[in-house]
Amino acid sequence: MNPIEQYVAPTSLTQALECLRLSEVTVLAGGTDVMPQSQSGRLKFKPTLMNIQRVSELKGITRDGNAIRMGALATVTEIMHDALVQEFFPVLVEAGDHFASDQIRNAATLGGNINNASPAGDMLIPLLVLDADAELAAKPNGEMLVRRMPLANFFVGPGKTQRMPSELLTGVRLPLPPANHFARFFKFGARPALDISAISIGIAGARRDGVLTQVRVAFGAVAPTPVRASRTEAALEGRPLDRATIDAAAQAAYDEVKPIDDVRASAWYRRELIRNMTRRMLDHVAQA
Amino acid sequence: MSLKHDIAFTLNGVQRKVTVEVGMSALAMLRDVIGLTGTKYGCGEGECGACTIIVDGATLNSCLMFAVDCDGRRVTTIEGLTGDARADALRDAFVAHGAVQCGFCTPGLMVQASHLLAHHPEVDAAAVKRGIEGNLCRCTGYKKIVEAIVSASHVEQGAAR
Amino acid sequence: MKVADRPAAIAPDTLIGKRIPKMDAPEKASGKTRYIHDINLPGQLHAKILRSARVHARIVRIDTSAARRLPGVHVVLTAADLPDQRPIGVAKDHLPLKRDRVRSQRDEIAAVAADSEEIAEQALRLIKVDYEDLPVVSNALDAIKPDAVLIHPEPHGADGSHLHLKPGVPIAFAGKKDNIAMRFDYAHGDVVQGESQSDVVIEDTFKLHYVTHCCMGVSGVIADFDASGNLLMYSNTQVPFLHKREFAEYLNMDPARIRIVQPPIGGGFGSKLDIYPFEVICVFLARAARRPVKLVFSREEEFLASPTRQPVLLTLRSGCRRDGTLTFRQVHTLHDNGAYTSWGATTPFVMMQTFSSLYRVPHCEYHTTAVYTNNPYAGSFRGYGNLQATFAVEAHMDKLAEAIGMDPLEFRLKNAQVPGEVTGQGMSFKSCGFQDCLKTAAARSDYQRKRRECVAARDKSGPIKRGIGIASMLHVGGGAKIYPSDGCGTILKIDDFAHVTLITGASEIGQGSETVLSQLVCEELGLPISSVTVVNNDTDITPWDVGVHASRTTFIAGNSAIGAAKKAKAKILAAAAKKFECAEGDLTLRGGHIVRAASGEPLIDLARLMRSLHFSDKAELVMTTFYYEPPSQHQDKGFKGDVSAAYAWATQVVEVEVDTDTGIVKMTRVTGAHDVGRVLNRLGIEGQIEGGVVMGQGYALTENLMIEEGRMRNPSFRDYKLVTAPEIPEIDVSFIESMDGEGPQGAKGVGEAPAICIAAATANAIENATGVRIYELPFTPEKVYRALHGSAEKLYWKPWKPE
Repeated sequence: MNPIEQYVAPTSLTQALECLRLSEVTVLAGGTDVMPQSQSGRLKFKPTLMNIQRVSELKGITRDGNAIRMGALATVTEIMHDALVQEFFPVLVEAGDHFASDQIRNAATLGGNINNASPAGDMLIPLLVLDADAELAAKPNGEMLVRRMPLANFFVGPGKTQRMPSELLTGVRLPLPPANHFARFFKFGARPALDISAISIGIAGARRDGVLTQVRVAFGAVAPTPVRASRTEAALEGRPLDRATIDAAAQAAYDEVKPIDDVRASAWYRRELIRNMTRRMLDHVAQA
Repeated sequence: MSLKHDIAFTLNGVQRKVTVEVGMSALAMLRDVIGLTGTKYGCGEGECGACTIIVDGATLNSCLMFAVDCDGRRVTTIEGLTGDARADALRDAFVAHGAVQCGFCTPGLMVQASHLLAHHPEVDAAAVKRGIEGNLCRCTGYKKIVEAIVSASHVEQGAAR
Repeated sequence: MKVADRPAAIAPDTLIGKRIPKMDAPEKASGKTRYIHDINLPGQLHAKILRSARVHARIVRIDTSAARRLPGVHVVLTAADLPDQRPIGVAKDHLPLKRDRVRSQRDEIAAVAADSEEIAEQALRLIKVDYEDLPVVSNALDAIKPDAVLIHPEPHGADGSHLHLKPGVPIAFAGKKDNIAMRFDYAHGDVVQGESQSDVVIEDTFKLHYVTHCCMGVSGVIADFDASGNLLMYSNTQVPFLHKREFAEYLNMDPARIRIVQPPIGGGFGSKLDIYPFEVICVFLARAARRPVKLVFSREEEFLASPTRQPVLLTLRSGCRRDGTLTFRQVHTLHDNGAYTSWGATTPFVMMQTFSSLYRVPHCEYHTTAVYTNNPYAGSFRGYGNLQATFAVEAHMDKLAEAIGMDPLEFRLKNAQVPGEVTGQGMSFKSCGFQDCLKTAAARSDYQRKRRECVAARDKSGPIKRGIGIASMLHVGGGAKIYPSDGCGTILKIDDFAHVTLITGASEIGQGSETVLSQLVCEELGLPISSVTVVNNDTDITPWDVGVHASRTTFIAGNSAIGAAKKAKAKILAAAAKKFECAEGDLTLRGGHIVRAASGEPLIDLARLMRSLHFSDKAELVMTTFYYEPPSQHQDKGFKGDVSAAYAWATQVVEVEVDTDTGIVKMTRVTGAHDVGRVLNRLGIEGQIEGGVVMGQGYALTENLMIEEGRMRNPSFRDYKLVTAPEIPEIDVSFIESMDGEGPQGAKGVGEAPAICIAAATANAIENATGVRIYELPFTPEKVYRALHGSAEKLYWKPWKPE
C-alpha cells in the first residue's frame, strides 16, 4: 500500500512553497518519471503528494530583458512550438524532436526533466550549451527566496540535484545568444526518437571569420550527469574551424570522456561515437 | 488503506465525479473504476502508446498520468471518438485500408491519429510516421496504418472545402 | 422481390483476389472489442504468481503464513499443496509450481488468488522463500561439458546414490543423466561423397540470438468451475482442442467437462501453442477458491515468463562444383534448451527442411543437440527455426557464388527447384514458384545492377555505404502433419434469409482467417461477404481443428469450409433443379440468386428458395458438415516424407544504408516476390507480408533479448527495441500465383513466410555495402561498428554431437 497521506494541488507558487516548507513532499507534474519510478519501486512516495500542474507562475515562456525565461511546467511540445524558442534557440526544437514520442512530449515538463537529472536527458544537453541557469524558490521564513545557479552545477549525480527539499525548481533562464551564434544537438540512435541515447552531444558558440569563440560543448550518457567538456572546448576556443582543429577537438572529446558499460552500449563504443560524431557535427558547422 | 480523492472532470463530453486512489494511474481509473476498456494496458511505462488518450486537446499516455490529475480537465478516450465526421472518416479509413489485424494497438493509434489530423490537417507519410512513433504495432508493419491516416486526411480536406 | 425488379441477367463475379476489409475491424477500431484483459466475471478473484528470486537453487523452505493471513486473500498455493501435480510441456519436464528446486528466473514458486491485484501483489511480498544457491549454467557450451552441473539431476536414494527410474517416468520426476534434452539426426545422400565432388568447400559458424514475441496484448487466462465441477476457461490458446485434452490430464478430469472459449487475441505469432505453468496454476486456484480466477501478466512478466525464439549456435559446411551446382550441406547445431522444454526444441523439424530442400542439395546431413541450461526456454515463434536456418543457408549461397566467380542470382537460379521435383527429404513440390520468385524480386529491385554498383562504391569517400542483398525461403504452405491428424472440421448452415453461419474449428489470431474463410464460402454460394457470421471460438460448439500453426489455416480450414459450402450448394441446386424442372448442371449460384449458368438468368433468389424448402411438406433446412484432412504424410523415423500438402516460397531483396561512423544500418527498401498459390484476400495477404517483413527487420537489426547468467537484462520496451513506424523500409510486394492443385482456389499458406529470410538478405546487403560479413545477429549499431573496425573476433564452433 502506498504511504501517501495527503494530496494537494496548489494553484499558486506561495501555496506550493508553504506546503514544501511544512511537509515531506513528492512533487508531481506530468508524471512521466514519477509514475513509472513509483511503480518500479525506484521512487518511494513521501507522505504528501503535491501536484503543481495548476501553479500559474510555473507556466509560460517569456522574454525577461536579455534573457528568455522558461517556466518549469513548460512541456517539451510547448517549448518546441514557442515563437521565442524558435527564434532564439532552434536547437531546443531540434532536441525536442528527438525526445521520446508525441504523447510524452505533451506531458513531460522542463522542470521534471531537469529534476530527474538523467545523465542521458535529451533536453538537458542543449540547455547546458546555451548557458542556462536553474531558478529555485523557497519560503523558509515566510518570505520568498529565489536563487539561481548554472545548470551544469545543479546536477550532482544520476537523479541527484542541488535542490533542497523545501525548494521548488521554478524554471530556467537562458541568456539571449550572442551575434553569429550557432548551436547544434546530436543524439545517437537508430530511431528518430523514443530512445534513451547511448550518447548525445551539444555544441554551441559564436563563429566569426571562421574562428570559434565562447565555445560550449556538452555530452550526455558518458558521465554520471550531463557534463560540459572543458578539454574539447579548449581545443576549439579561439581557433579557426579547419580540418586540424576539428580532428584535434574530436580526439580531445575521445580522451576526456569516461563512459561506462551498460545494457545500451559499451564504454569503448561510446568513446568511438563521441569522437566520430563530434567530428561530424563540427564538419556540419564548418560547412554551414 | 490507500488515500482516496474525489475528482470531477469531463469524460467524452459528459461531466463525471469519480473517487480514485491517489497513486492510481488514469489508465487504471478508466478501465477498472469507470469500466471503459477501450483504452489498453500495453506496457505501463509510456513506451507503446496503447493507452493513449486526449487530455485538454493533447494526447498523452494514460499509464503515466495520475488519475487525480484529471480533475477539472477534458478527457477523451477511444469511446469518445464516435459520431463525429472526422472520427468516422478515420475509422472507415482504418477498416478499408487493412490497418487492423489483432486490433490491440488500434484504439491508441486511432486516438493519436485523430489528434495528429486535428493539428496537422495536411500530412504526408513521413509526417504520419513521426506522429505515430510512440505507438507500437506488432502485426501490421505500420504501412497500412500510415496509408489509412494519410487517406483520412485527404477526406477531411475534401469535406472542408 | 417483385418480378419486375429482378435483373435480366446476373454476370459472373468473383471475390477471389479482391481487397476485402477484415470483418471485425470496425469493432476493433471503435474500441469495443473485448480482449481477455477486458473480460470480468462476477465474483472473480485476481491471481498473481511469485517467481523465483534465484536462477538456480534448491528451495529449502517456503513460508506462506503471513500471506494467507492478509485480508482479501482467498487462496495461496505452493507445490506442497498440490501433491499430485503432473508435469507439463513438450517433454513433461516441469511442474507448474516448482517443488524442490528452481532452474530459471521465471520459475513459479507460489500463487495467490485475492480480491484485487493490489492485494495479490502485497501477498506475494509477504511470502518468504529460503534458497540454497546452485551454480548457474548459462551457456549451452558449458552445459555439454562432462563435469557440467546437471539441470535435471536424477533423484537420490536413501544411500545418496542416483535413482535411475524406469523409462516412461516423466523427466520432471526421473531427471536425466546429462543435460541433453533432445537430439535430432537427419541425412539424405552421403555428404562424404558430396564433399569429394566439390570444387569449393566452405565452413562457418553462425549465432542466432534470443528474441521474443512481444504481442501487444499480454498473456492472461480466466478459469471458472461451475456448480457441477465443469471447467470453463477463457484462453487465448492457438490450440484449444489440444489444450482441452491436456488440461483434462493435468486436472484428472473428463475432457468432455472442459470448455475453452477464445476471446479475441492481442497477437499470437506462435506464443500460444504450448501449455504454460500460469494457465494450469490459474485453474488450480479456481478449483481451490471455488470462484472464477483471472490472471493477467504485467509487461515485465510477459518478457520474463514467455517463451522466446530458439537461439541457435550452428556450424554449416557447404560445397559446390565450379559449374555452380550445389553438392552438399552438413550442419551441426547446438540449441540452448533453457531450463524446461517447449516447442523451441522441436525447431529442428523445420530447420532440417531448409537445409535439405531450400535449393537442390544432393547430399545433406543435419544434427541438433538441445541442452538444458538455466536460461529461459524457447517456444514456437513465427517461422519456427526457419529464420535461423535460412540465415546460414543464404550466407553460404552468396559465399559459394563468390568463390566460383558466379553472379549470386544466376547461382541461385541454377539450383532453385521447379514444379514436379521431389527433394531428398521426400517433399514433393507440386506447385512451385521458386524460379519466378527469384526473377521477379531481382528484376523489380534491379538487384544485379545495384549490387555491382555498391561494390564499386565501397572505396569512395563518405561514411554512408549502400548495399543490396537477396535471400529466399521455403516453408510449409499446406499444413504440417505432425499430429495424428492435420485436419479441420466445418459446420455450415444457411437460414431462411440466406444468411450463412460458418462454424469452424480454425481460430482467428488476428491474421484474418475468419474473413478469408467467409470469402471462400461466399465464392461457392454466390453471396456477398456480409452474408456470413463466423463462429470459431468455443470448443463446445466448433468442430475439431488441430490449431493455428504452420501457416495452415487458409489451406486446411479453407478447404474444409469449401467442402461444406459445396455440399450446401449441391443440395440447393438439386432442389432448384427439381422446382424448375431442369438439370442441376444447368444451374449455378450467383449474386444471391439461383441462375441459369449459361445465360445468367435469375430464376429465384436464394432466400426464397430456402424458405420454400423449409416451409414445405418435406421440411428441410440446409445444414452441412465437412472434415478436411490434407493429403500429406507423417514423416518416417528418418524425418523423411511429404509432410505438407503444399509448400511456399518467397524471395526478398533488402537494401540498406550503413553509416560506417556509427554502425547504424538503415533498411531502406524490401522487394519481395511471394509464391502464395493464389491471392485470396489481397488486403489481408499484403498486411501479413508487411507485418512479417517488419518483424524480420526487428530480428535482423533491433531486437535483442539480453540474457546474462540466466537473468534477463532488458525485460521492457524501453530496452527491448521493437521497430517503430519511422524506421520501416519501403515495401514492394509481388505475388507469384502458382495455383496449387490442392489449395483452396489454388492458395497456399503464408502467415510465417514473410519474416523468414529478411535477416538473411540483410546480412548479404551489409556485406555488399561494406565487404564485411557478420555471422551473428542482431546487426545492432555496436556489433556492426565492431565488425567494420576490426574489433570483432569471428566465432568458430567446432561441429559436435554427442556420441
